[in-house]
Amino acid sequence: MKTENKTLNIAGKKTQLTILGEGPPLLYLHSAGGETEPIAFHKKLAEKYTVYLPAHPGFALSEGLDQIQDIHDLAWHYVDLLGELNLENVPVVSYSLGAWTAAEVKLIRPDLIGPLVMIAAAGLHVDGAPMEELFIDNFDKLRELLFFDSKSQQSIDHFPSDINDPRILMWLRAREATARVGWNPYLHDPKLASHLHRLSGPVQVIWGRHDKLIPLAHGEYYAKHLPNAKLTVLEECGHMVPYEKMDEAAEIALEFIASA
Amino acid sequence: MKFFAFHLMPWDRLPEDFSEKYDTAWTWLPNEIFDPEHGGELYNNYLDQLVLADQLGFDGVCVNEHHQNAYGTMPSPNLMASILARQTKNCRIAVVGNAIPFYDPPTRCAEEFAMIDCISGGRLIAGLVVGGGPEYYSFSKNPTFAREMYREAFDLIMRAWTEPGPFEHYGKHWKLKYVNPWPRPIQQPHPPIWIPGAGSRETIQFVAQRRFAYMGIPYFHMDFFQRNFDMFRDECEKCDYTTDPEQLGWLLPIYCAETDEQAWAEYEPHLWYFVKKLLKGLVVFPPGYTSARSIAGIQKGLKQFMSTCESREDIEAGGYAIVGSPDTVRQKLSERIKRLGVGNLLGLFQLGTLPHDMTCKNMKLFAEKVMPGLREELDVTLSS
Repeated sequence: MKTENKTLNIAGKKTQLTILGEGPPLLYLHSAGGETEPIAFHKKLAEKYTVYLPAHPGFALSEGLDQIQDIHDLAWHYVDLLGELNLENVPVVSYSLGAWTAAEVKLIRPDLIGPLVMIAAAGLHVDGAPMEELFIDNFDKLRELLFFDSKSQQSIDHFPSDINDPRILMWLRAREATARVGWNPYLHDPKLASHLHRLSGPVQVIWGRHDKLIPLAHGEYYAKHLPNAKLTVLEECGHMVPYEKMDEAAEIALEFIASA
Repeated sequence: MKFFAFHLMPWDRLPEDFSEKYDTAWTWLPNEIFDPEHGGELYNNYLDQLVLADQLGFDGVCVNEHHQNAYGTMPSPNLMASILARQTKNCRIAVVGNAIPFYDPPTRCAEEFAMIDCISGGRLIAGLVVGGGPEYYSFSKNPTFAREMYREAFDLIMRAWTEPGPFEHYGKHWKLKYVNPWPRPIQQPHPPIWIPGAGSRETIQFVAQRRFAYMGIPYFHMDFFQRNFDMFRDECEKCDYTTDPEQLGWLLPIYCAETDEQAWAEYEPHLWYFVKKLLKGLVVFPPGYTSARSIAGIQKGLKQFMSTCESREDIEAGGYAIVGSPDTVRQKLSERIKRLGVGNLLGLFQLGTLPHDMTCKNMKLFAEKVMPGLREELDVTLSS
């Protein structure tokens, strides 16, 4: 598969960008887990699209976290990035932290983002359905929290086991960059809920039935309050949708974008 | 050589099934376990112990700040220090320290410290700390801003003490149209500053450059202290001066009884309560609290942390605590103080379940049979 690695300068922030596949453009906004290297899910999307896979500031080799104070700064970073790439009305597939970011970008620049897929999106506080604590350093507990089956091969392959794991520095960087925008308020923007009625474009919400980090109630809230959204719930699936339900999630996303 | 009695004011009644049932004594430990009636007794005992330290001739007493935990039930050390300012007569009162990123605005720390300094007649030592990792969870303060908030708060407090007010402060984290704290401290230009550190080079450089005092964060292996204190001395040399030993402090648990055997027999159950229960969950590094590289390094350094100890031999070999007869305690301390080159010894004489009478006995033996000899011996050694 055609793969290109670039380093962009986005308003002074060194930004890692991977471009994958061929076809019309599609932007993928990654989660707190920092899936910034192409994974099977990305490759699936790249069979039909040119997938732009940037790393958020502070993730992978992207820098500039010192210029990010909150989720709004991150959203403006993507306004700049889409400007740099000359992309408008681009379909977006977004996951967790990335899905929250996508919603914020679409609020401030509705024309930049076309059909939007939000997978297990952060961004809301839903009464009675608190999000679990992501910022712990017990890897076994984290694995339990994130995966439907914490003993599965994906879970072992895609998650460090201890502090001696060679991926640990990148993991710690990802954790810091997530905390920068998601520590307080905890992984949400208190004002986002009151803006949802302004996000009028088509949205496909995808959620794992057994998401323990961000309960399904958040997906239901998004689907109910976004004017033009559809929710698809995946069975036997936790928060790690693109890993645990790679084929189904990619298919739903591709079909939705094609028909939108 | 100066001797301080350090107090955490720990909780002494963790449930029997604590070890199985709870992952930590911090942040998430249900506060139903705290019994306010008993808490009142404890606070009064603990204050009595610190007043006793003054009467016994200690150079100072130390209190410190922690939140939402069983390890140290002193969320406001300034409340305790203000009582001690009245109830002690001669000793220094070291607040080690106020976690200044949590003070909003941080000028509140400048004000409260100044009050304590005034009430005590200029006996305050002002400790200014970043706040422990667990506390960034307890207060939902973003740890990725911890260091820059600390530096901003620190500089603001120093200005508040040394520059005539009112003046403006428009920083990144605090915007204050009028900085003009009443009262001002007796000690001029400001009270002595102590800063604790766990060995990060940034903190060591910061303290060395400003000629403040660096307190080694406890419960580590002797070799770890040695490395950090050597690093501090090197940094002072880089700033063109030689460290005064009084710029260095070493905090560790101490227990004295009539004989070595008796000391270990009396102390050991209390020591393990502290090591295995109260320390559980203390060492947490929330994201961004320090650099990713430092966190990875410190995580590996935790192999030298006291909670890895399983036996009396482990404790003794690492010098994690000094336990024994007055002669043993004196001899071990003398050797290690000389090796580490520190001018302040901060003894932890009570660490949780140790009963009040045994704590007082411990302190008395130390003050009467250990301190005088060490003073005589070490003042000569250190100033030569």
